[in-house]
Amino acid sequence: MSGNARYVFAVARDLDVAELSGTHGFQGAAVEAVEHEKLAAVVCDVDLAEFGAEPLTRNLEDLAWVERVARTHNEVVWRVAAVSTCAPLRLVTVCADDESVRAKVDSLRAGLEDVLDRIEGRQEWSVKVLVAPRPAGETSPVAPATSGADYLRRKRQASDRRRDLSVEAEHIARDVHDLAHTHAVASRRLAPQDPRLTGRPETMVLNAAYLVEADEHEAFTAALHAAGEQHPSVTVEVEGPWPAYSFAVLE
Amino acid sequence: MTGDARGRLRQRIDTDPDAVARDLFKLVLSIIELVRELMEAQALRRVDEGDLSDAQIEALGLGLQRLEEAMEDLKSRYGLTTADLNLDLGPLGTLLSDDQ
Amino acid sequence: MSDIDLHASATGLQPGGAGQVSLVDLLDRLLGTGVVLAGDVLISLAGVDLVEIRLKALITSVRADMARRERAEQ
Repeated sequence: MSGNARYVFAVARDLDVAELSGTHGFQGAAVEAVEHEKLAAVVCDVDLAEFGAEPLTRNLEDLAWVERVARTHNEVVWRVAAVSTCAPLRLVTVCADDESVRAKVDSLRAGLEDVLDRIEGRQEWSVKVLVAPRPAGETSPVAPATSGADYLRRKRQASDRRRDLSVEAEHIARDVHDLAHTHAVASRRLAPQDPRLTGRPETMVLNAAYLVEADEHEAFTAALHAAGEQHPSVTVEVEGPWPAYSFAVLE
Repeated sequence: MTGDARGRLRQRIDTDPDAVARDLFKLVLSIIELVRELMEAQALRRVDEGDLSDAQIEALGLGLQRLEEAMEDLKSRYGLTTADLNLDLGPLGTLLSDDQ
Repeated sequence: MSDIDLHASATGLQPGGAGQVSLVDLLDRLLGTGVVLAGDVLISLAGVDLVEIRLKALITSVRADMARRERAEQ
Protein backbone atom coordinates (compact mmCIF):
# COMPACT_ATOMS: atom_id res chain seq x y z
CA MET A 1 0.00 0.00 0.00
CA SER A 2 1.37 3.43 -0.77
CA GLY A 3 0.24 7.02 -1.03
CA ASN A 4 -0.92 9.60 1.43
CA ALA A 5 -3.92 9.88 3.64
CA ARG A 6 -5.14 12.23 6.34
CA TYR A 7 -4.68 11.38 10.01
CA VAL A 8 -7.35 13.07 12.13
CA PHE A 9 -6.37 14.16 15.64
CA ALA A 10 -9.43 16.04 16.87
CA VAL A 11 -12.42 18.16 15.94
CA ALA A 12 -12.50 21.68 17.35
CA ARG A 13 -14.85 24.61 17.72
CA ASP A 14 -13.72 28.27 17.63
CA LEU A 15 -10.28 27.33 16.37
CA ASP A 16 -8.08 30.00 14.86
CA VAL A 17 -5.92 28.00 12.45
CA ALA A 18 -3.09 30.52 12.77
CA GLU A 19 -2.60 29.27 16.33
CA LEU A 20 -1.51 25.91 14.92
CA SER A 21 1.27 27.20 12.69
CA GLY A 22 4.55 25.52 13.53
CA THR A 23 2.82 22.45 14.97
CA HIS A 24 3.93 19.19 13.41
CA GLY A 25 2.39 15.74 13.21
CA PHE A 26 4.22 12.61 11.99
CA GLN A 27 7.48 12.66 10.04
CA GLY A 28 7.45 16.46 10.20
CA ALA A 29 4.12 16.78 8.39
CA ALA A 30 2.43 20.11 9.04
CA VAL A 31 -0.73 20.06 11.14
CA GLU A 32 -3.63 21.61 9.22
CA ALA A 33 -7.31 22.24 9.71
CA VAL A 34 -10.07 21.00 7.44
CA GLU A 35 -12.99 23.29 8.04
CA HIS A 36 -16.57 22.19 7.75
CA GLU A 37 -19.56 24.24 8.91
CA LYS A 38 -18.10 25.98 11.93
CA LEU A 39 -16.07 22.98 13.06
CA ALA A 40 -12.47 22.23 12.19
CA ALA A 41 -10.94 18.78 11.90
CA VAL A 42 -7.28 18.92 12.85
CA VAL A 43 -5.26 16.71 10.51
CA CYS A 44 -1.87 15.95 9.03
CA ASP A 45 -0.63 13.88 6.08
CA VAL A 46 0.52 10.33 6.74
CA ASP A 47 1.98 7.59 4.59
CA LEU A 48 -0.26 4.58 4.04
CA ALA A 49 2.84 2.37 4.11
CA GLU A 50 2.84 3.08 7.83
CA PHE A 51 -0.82 3.86 8.59
CA GLY A 52 -2.69 1.69 6.10
CA ALA A 53 -4.88 -1.12 7.45
CA GLU A 54 -2.34 -3.90 7.07
CA PRO A 55 0.81 -2.10 8.31
CA LEU A 56 -1.31 -0.75 11.19
CA THR A 57 -2.17 -4.21 12.51
CA ARG A 58 1.53 -4.93 12.78
CA ASN A 59 2.51 -1.54 14.16
CA LEU A 60 -0.14 -1.52 16.85
CA GLU A 61 1.51 -4.53 18.48
CA ASP A 62 4.85 -2.78 18.65
CA LEU A 63 4.96 -0.83 21.88
CA ALA A 64 7.71 1.48 20.67
CA TRP A 65 5.66 2.48 17.62
CA VAL A 66 2.52 2.92 19.70
CA GLU A 67 4.42 5.12 22.13
CA ARG A 68 5.79 7.37 19.38
CA VAL A 69 2.38 7.80 17.81
CA ALA A 70 0.57 8.28 21.12
CA ARG A 71 2.96 11.01 22.24
CA THR A 72 2.77 12.90 18.96
CA HIS A 73 -1.00 12.55 18.97
CA ASN A 74 -1.12 13.95 22.49
CA GLU A 75 1.18 16.88 21.70
CA VAL A 76 -1.08 17.95 18.86
CA VAL A 77 -4.30 17.47 20.84
CA TRP A 78 -2.79 19.39 23.74
CA ARG A 79 -1.95 22.33 21.50
CA VAL A 80 -5.43 22.38 19.97
CA ALA A 81 -7.12 22.06 23.38
CA ALA A 82 -5.09 24.99 24.70
CA VAL A 83 -6.53 27.31 22.06
CA SER A 84 -10.06 26.03 21.38
CA THR A 85 -12.80 23.72 22.60
CA CYS A 86 -11.51 20.43 21.32
CA ALA A 87 -12.91 16.90 21.07
CA PRO A 88 -10.01 14.47 20.54
CA LEU A 89 -10.29 11.31 18.46
CA ARG A 90 -8.81 8.01 19.60
CA LEU A 91 -5.47 6.83 18.34
CA VAL A 92 -5.31 6.35 14.59
CA THR A 93 -8.24 7.66 12.65
CA VAL A 94 -7.20 7.82 9.02
CA CYS A 95 -9.29 9.21 6.16
CA ALA A 96 -8.46 8.94 2.47
CA ASP A 97 -8.64 12.68 1.76
CA ASP A 98 -10.18 15.96 2.91
CA GLU A 99 -13.55 15.10 1.43
CA SER A 100 -13.72 11.96 3.49
CA VAL A 101 -12.55 13.95 6.54
CA ARG A 102 -15.60 16.18 6.09
CA ALA A 103 -17.82 13.12 5.74
CA LYS A 104 -16.35 11.82 8.98
CA VAL A 105 -17.15 15.07 10.78
CA ASP A 106 -20.71 14.89 9.44
CA SER A 107 -21.12 11.36 10.72
CA LEU A 108 -19.98 12.49 14.18
CA ARG A 109 -21.81 15.81 14.20
CA ALA A 110 -24.72 15.01 16.49
CA GLY A 111 -22.59 13.63 19.27
CA LEU A 112 -19.94 16.24 18.57
CA GLU A 113 -22.01 19.27 19.47
CA ASP A 114 -23.08 17.65 22.75
CA VAL A 115 -19.52 16.75 23.61
CA LEU A 116 -18.17 20.19 22.82
CA ASP A 117 -20.88 21.81 24.92
CA ARG A 118 -20.04 19.50 27.80
CA ILE A 119 -16.32 20.17 27.87
CA GLU A 120 -16.24 23.88 27.14
CA GLY A 121 -14.55 25.74 29.99
CA ARG A 122 -13.68 22.50 31.78
CA GLN A 123 -10.63 20.27 32.07
CA GLU A 124 -9.85 16.70 32.88
CA TRP A 125 -8.08 15.75 36.09
CA SER A 126 -6.72 12.31 36.84
CA VAL A 127 -6.91 10.73 40.28
CA LYS A 128 -5.16 7.53 41.21
CA VAL A 129 -5.23 5.74 44.53
CA LEU A 130 -2.45 3.26 45.23
CA VAL A 131 -1.89 1.00 48.20
CA ALA A 132 1.24 2.31 49.89
CA PRO A 133 4.11 -0.20 49.93
CA ARG A 134 4.46 -2.02 53.22
CA PRO A 135 7.46 -1.05 55.32
CA ALA A 136 10.43 -3.38 54.81
CA GLY A 137 10.37 -4.94 58.25
CA GLU A 138 7.03 -6.69 57.85
CA THR A 139 7.67 -10.07 56.30
CA SER A 140 6.16 -13.51 56.91
CA PRO A 141 7.45 -15.36 59.98
CA VAL A 142 10.68 -17.19 59.34
CA ALA A 143 10.15 -20.28 61.55
CA PRO A 144 9.01 -23.21 59.38
CA ALA A 145 5.51 -24.66 59.79
CA THR A 146 5.28 -27.47 62.33
CA SER A 147 3.10 -29.73 60.17
CA GLY A 148 1.28 -29.91 56.86
CA ALA A 149 -1.92 -28.71 58.54
CA ASP A 150 -0.01 -25.83 60.16
CA TYR A 151 1.43 -24.84 56.77
CA LEU A 152 -2.06 -24.59 55.31
CA ARG A 153 -3.25 -22.65 58.34
CA ARG A 154 -0.52 -20.05 57.84
CA LYS A 155 -1.33 -19.79 54.15
CA ARG A 156 -4.96 -19.24 55.05
CA GLN A 157 -4.01 -16.46 57.49
CA ALA A 158 -1.82 -14.76 54.92
CA SER A 159 -4.61 -15.02 52.36
CA ASP A 160 -7.16 -13.56 54.80
CA ARG A 161 -4.79 -10.72 55.67
CA ARG A 162 -4.35 -9.89 51.99
CA ARG A 163 -8.09 -9.99 51.45
CA ASP A 164 -8.80 -7.68 54.40
CA LEU A 165 -6.24 -5.16 53.18
CA SER A 166 -7.72 -5.37 49.74
CA VAL A 167 -11.26 -4.79 51.01
CA GLU A 168 -10.12 -1.79 53.05
CA ALA A 169 -8.32 -0.33 50.05
CA GLU A 170 -11.44 -0.76 47.91
CA HIS A 171 -13.53 1.14 50.48
CA ILE A 172 -11.02 3.98 50.54
CA ALA A 173 -11.01 4.04 46.75
CA ARG A 174 -14.78 4.37 46.68
CA ASP A 175 -14.72 7.17 49.25
CA VAL A 176 -12.07 9.08 47.31
CA HIS A 177 -14.03 8.65 44.09
CA ASP A 178 -17.26 9.88 45.70
CA LEU A 179 -15.44 12.88 47.13
CA ALA A 180 -13.81 13.80 43.83
CA HIS A 181 -17.14 13.43 42.07
CA THR A 182 -18.77 16.06 44.29
CA HIS A 183 -16.31 18.64 42.91
CA ALA A 184 -16.69 17.54 39.30
CA VAL A 185 -19.22 17.86 36.52
CA ALA A 186 -18.65 14.28 35.36
CA SER A 187 -16.43 11.34 36.23
CA ARG A 188 -15.23 8.16 34.68
CA ARG A 189 -13.54 5.19 36.32
CA LEU A 190 -10.86 3.53 34.23
CA ALA A 191 -9.29 0.12 34.78
CA PRO A 192 -6.43 0.04 37.30
CA GLN A 193 -3.13 0.14 35.45
CA ASP A 194 -1.02 -2.94 34.91
CA PRO A 195 2.13 -2.73 37.08
CA ARG A 196 4.17 -4.08 34.17
CA LEU A 197 3.28 -0.97 32.20
CA THR A 198 3.60 1.58 34.99
CA GLY A 199 6.76 0.05 36.36
CA ARG A 200 5.35 0.59 39.85
CA PRO A 201 4.78 -2.37 42.12
CA GLU A 202 2.00 -0.84 44.26
CA THR A 203 -1.54 -2.07 43.66
CA MET A 204 -3.73 0.56 42.06
CA VAL A 205 -7.26 0.59 43.46
CA LEU A 206 -8.58 3.68 41.73
CA ASN A 207 -7.82 5.11 38.33
CA ALA A 208 -10.35 7.77 37.43
CA ALA A 209 -10.89 10.88 35.34
CA TYR A 210 -12.92 13.89 36.44
CA LEU A 211 -14.28 16.78 34.40
CA VAL A 212 -13.79 19.90 36.52
CA GLU A 213 -14.85 23.51 35.91
CA ALA A 214 -11.81 25.69 35.33
CA ASP A 215 -12.46 27.75 38.45
CA GLU A 216 -13.23 24.71 40.64
CA HIS A 217 -9.85 23.02 40.28
CA GLU A 218 -8.30 24.45 43.41
CA ALA A 219 -11.13 23.19 45.61
CA PHE A 220 -10.90 19.84 43.80
CA THR A 221 -7.18 19.34 44.41
CA ALA A 222 -7.36 20.62 47.99
CA ALA A 223 -10.14 18.16 48.88
CA LEU A 224 -8.18 15.25 47.43
CA HIS A 225 -4.95 16.16 49.16
CA ALA A 226 -6.85 16.28 52.44
CA ALA A 227 -8.31 12.83 51.73
CA GLY A 228 -4.80 11.51 51.08
CA GLU A 229 -3.68 12.73 54.47
CA GLN A 230 -6.66 11.12 56.21
CA HIS A 231 -5.75 7.70 54.79
CA PRO A 232 -2.06 6.95 55.34
CA SER A 233 -2.40 3.38 54.07
CA VAL A 234 -2.87 4.71 50.52
CA THR A 235 -1.29 7.30 48.25
CA VAL A 236 -3.64 9.66 46.40
CA GLU A 237 -2.22 11.15 43.21
CA VAL A 238 -3.81 14.06 41.38
CA GLU A 239 -2.64 15.15 37.93
CA GLY A 240 -3.87 17.75 35.49
CA PRO A 241 -5.20 19.78 33.84
CA TRP A 242 -5.39 17.64 30.75
CA PRO A 243 -7.46 17.90 27.57
CA ALA A 244 -10.87 16.32 28.28
CA TYR A 245 -10.00 12.96 26.69
CA SER A 246 -12.20 10.79 28.84
CA PHE A 247 -15.28 12.93 28.30
CA ALA A 248 -14.89 13.99 24.72
CA VAL A 249 -13.33 11.19 22.77
CA LEU A 250 -15.25 10.37 19.64
CA GLU A 251 -15.16 6.92 18.10
CA MET B 1 -10.77 3.65 7.65
CA THR B 2 -10.16 3.73 11.35
CA GLY B 3 -7.42 1.86 13.15
CA ASP B 4 -9.02 -0.57 15.55
CA ALA B 5 -6.57 -0.05 18.35
CA ARG B 6 -7.64 -2.65 20.82
CA GLY B 7 -4.52 -2.12 22.85
CA ARG B 8 -3.31 -5.70 22.86
CA LEU B 9 0.40 -5.73 23.34
CA ARG B 10 2.46 -8.85 23.07
CA GLN B 11 5.44 -9.54 25.28
CA ARG B 12 8.64 -10.31 23.47
CA ILE B 13 11.53 -12.19 24.99
CA ASP B 14 14.54 -10.99 23.06
CA THR B 15 17.37 -13.32 23.81
CA ASP B 16 20.81 -14.24 22.44
CA PRO B 17 23.10 -17.31 22.57
CA ASP B 18 24.62 -16.29 25.90
CA ALA B 19 21.33 -15.61 27.70
CA VAL B 20 18.89 -17.99 26.05
CA ALA B 21 19.17 -20.81 28.62
CA ARG B 22 18.56 -18.45 31.52
CA ASP B 23 15.71 -16.67 29.75
CA LEU B 24 13.90 -19.88 28.90
CA PHE B 25 14.47 -21.19 32.39
CA LYS B 26 12.88 -18.04 33.78
CA LEU B 27 9.87 -18.58 31.53
CA VAL B 28 9.46 -22.20 32.64
CA LEU B 29 9.85 -21.28 36.33
CA SER B 30 7.18 -18.63 35.92
CA ILE B 31 4.73 -21.21 34.66
CA ILE B 32 5.60 -23.62 37.46
CA GLU B 33 5.10 -20.83 39.99
CA LEU B 34 1.72 -20.08 38.45
CA VAL B 35 0.59 -23.69 38.82
CA ARG B 36 1.98 -23.87 42.36
CA GLU B 37 0.03 -20.81 43.44
CA LEU B 38 -3.16 -22.10 41.88
CA MET B 39 -2.71 -25.46 43.63
CA GLU B 40 -2.23 -23.68 46.94
CA ALA B 41 -5.32 -21.51 46.52
CA GLN B 42 -7.37 -24.50 45.47
CA ALA B 43 -6.11 -26.60 48.40
CA LEU B 44 -7.38 -23.91 50.78
CA ARG B 45 -10.76 -23.96 49.06
CA ARG B 46 -10.99 -27.75 49.28
CA VAL B 47 -10.17 -27.60 52.98
CA ASP B 48 -13.00 -25.07 53.37
CA GLU B 49 -15.46 -27.35 51.60
CA GLY B 50 -14.91 -29.71 54.50
CA ASP B 51 -14.84 -33.07 52.83
CA LEU B 52 -11.16 -33.86 53.37
CA SER B 53 -9.92 -36.13 56.12
CA ASP B 54 -7.25 -34.91 58.56
CA ALA B 55 -4.75 -37.23 56.91
CA GLN B 56 -5.52 -35.72 53.50
CA ILE B 57 -5.18 -32.18 54.84
CA GLU B 58 -1.86 -33.06 56.43
CA ALA B 59 -0.55 -34.66 53.24
CA LEU B 60 -1.71 -31.69 51.12
CA GLY B 61 0.00 -29.18 53.40
CA LEU B 62 3.21 -31.17 53.56
CA GLY B 63 3.32 -31.60 49.79
CA LEU B 64 2.73 -27.91 49.15
CA GLN B 65 5.33 -26.97 51.71
CA ARG B 66 7.91 -29.18 49.98
CA LEU B 67 6.93 -27.68 46.65
CA GLU B 68 7.41 -24.16 47.99
CA GLU B 69 10.83 -25.08 49.37
CA ALA B 70 11.84 -26.60 46.05
CA MET B 71 10.81 -23.42 44.22
CA GLU B 72 12.77 -21.24 46.64
CA ASP B 73 15.81 -23.41 46.02
CA LEU B 74 15.46 -23.17 42.24
CA LYS B 75 14.92 -19.43 42.38
CA SER B 76 17.97 -18.83 44.52
CA ARG B 77 20.13 -21.02 42.31
CA TYR B 78 19.33 -18.82 39.33
CA GLY B 79 19.30 -15.56 41.24
CA LEU B 80 15.61 -14.96 40.54
CA THR B 81 13.13 -13.21 42.80
CA THR B 82 9.38 -13.65 42.84
CA ALA B 83 9.05 -10.34 41.01
CA ASP B 84 11.15 -11.72 38.13
CA LEU B 85 8.63 -14.50 37.65
CA ASN B 86 5.50 -12.41 37.61
CA LEU B 87 4.17 -13.14 34.14
CA ASP B 88 0.96 -11.47 33.13
CA LEU B 89 -1.23 -14.15 31.65
CA GLY B 90 -4.08 -12.05 30.28
CA PRO B 91 -7.43 -13.33 31.53
CA LEU B 92 -5.76 -15.16 34.39
CA GLY B 93 -4.41 -11.89 35.61
CA THR B 94 -1.11 -11.09 37.17
CA LEU B 95 -0.91 -14.07 39.41
CA LEU B 96 1.60 -13.66 42.12
CA SER B 97 0.15 -12.03 45.17
CA ASP B 98 1.70 -9.09 46.94
CA ASP B 99 3.44 -10.54 49.90
CA GLN B 100 4.92 -13.69 48.42
CA MET C 1 -8.28 40.72 25.33
CA SER C 2 -8.96 38.79 22.11
CA ASP C 3 -11.10 35.66 22.08
CA ILE C 4 -8.01 33.54 21.57
CA ASP C 5 -6.33 34.88 24.68
CA LEU C 6 -9.46 34.22 26.68
CA HIS C 7 -9.42 30.60 25.54
CA ALA C 8 -5.75 30.06 26.30
CA SER C 9 -6.00 31.45 29.81
CA ALA C 10 -9.34 29.72 30.45
CA THR C 11 -8.17 26.24 29.52
CA GLY C 12 -5.04 26.56 31.64
CA LEU C 13 -3.22 23.75 29.86
CA GLN C 14 0.48 24.10 30.51
CA PRO C 15 2.43 24.42 27.23
CA GLY C 16 5.02 21.89 28.32
CA GLY C 17 2.46 19.65 30.00
CA ALA C 18 1.94 17.19 27.16
CA GLY C 19 5.35 15.63 27.64
CA GLN C 20 4.73 14.94 31.30
CA VAL C 21 1.81 12.60 30.87
CA SER C 22 2.89 8.99 31.35
CA LEU C 23 2.51 6.60 28.44
CA VAL C 24 0.10 4.40 30.37
CA ASP C 25 -2.17 7.36 31.07
CA LEU C 26 -2.14 8.28 27.37
CA LEU C 27 -2.96 4.76 26.28
CA ASP C 28 -5.78 4.53 28.82
CA ARG C 29 -7.39 7.45 27.00
CA LEU C 30 -6.33 6.97 23.40
CA LEU C 31 -6.97 3.26 22.93
CA GLY C 32 -10.42 1.71 22.67
CA THR C 33 -10.22 -0.53 25.68
CA GLY C 34 -7.13 0.59 27.54
CA VAL C 35 -4.06 -1.55 27.39
CA VAL C 36 -3.89 -5.23 28.05
CA LEU C 37 -0.71 -7.19 27.90
CA ALA C 38 -1.82 -10.27 26.08
CA GLY C 39 -0.95 -13.62 27.56
CA ASP C 40 1.20 -14.45 24.58
CA VAL C 41 4.96 -14.55 24.56
CA LEU C 42 7.08 -14.24 21.44
CA ILE C 43 10.57 -15.68 21.75
CA SER C 44 13.17 -14.10 19.56
CA LEU C 45 16.79 -15.31 19.35
CA ALA C 46 19.54 -13.13 17.89
CA GLY C 47 16.88 -10.84 16.43
CA VAL C 48 15.01 -13.66 14.70
CA ASP C 49 11.41 -14.33 15.79
CA LEU C 50 11.10 -18.06 16.34
CA VAL C 51 8.37 -19.28 18.60
CA GLU C 52 5.12 -17.89 19.90
CA ILE C 53 3.67 -19.34 23.06
CA ARG C 54 -0.06 -18.93 23.63
CA LEU C 55 -0.62 -19.01 27.33
CA LYS C 56 -4.36 -19.22 27.37
CA ALA C 57 -4.40 -22.46 29.27
CA LEU C 58 -7.79 -23.32 30.61
CA ILE C 59 -7.31 -24.23 34.21
CA THR C 60 -10.22 -25.60 36.15
CA SER C 61 -10.49 -25.96 39.88
CA VAL C 62 -11.65 -29.41 40.83
CA ARG C 63 -14.50 -28.98 43.28
CA ALA C 64 -15.34 -31.44 46.00
CA ASP C 65 -18.64 -32.44 44.38
CA MET C 66 -16.91 -33.17 41.06
CA ALA C 67 -14.34 -35.32 42.84
CA ARG C 68 -17.15 -37.23 44.65
CA ARG C 69 -19.04 -37.83 41.43
CA GLU C 70 -15.95 -39.17 39.73
CA ARG C 71 -15.22 -41.55 42.59
CA ALA C 72 -18.84 -42.75 42.55
CA GLU C 73 -18.58 -43.53 38.84
CA GLN C 74 -15.54 -45.77 39.26
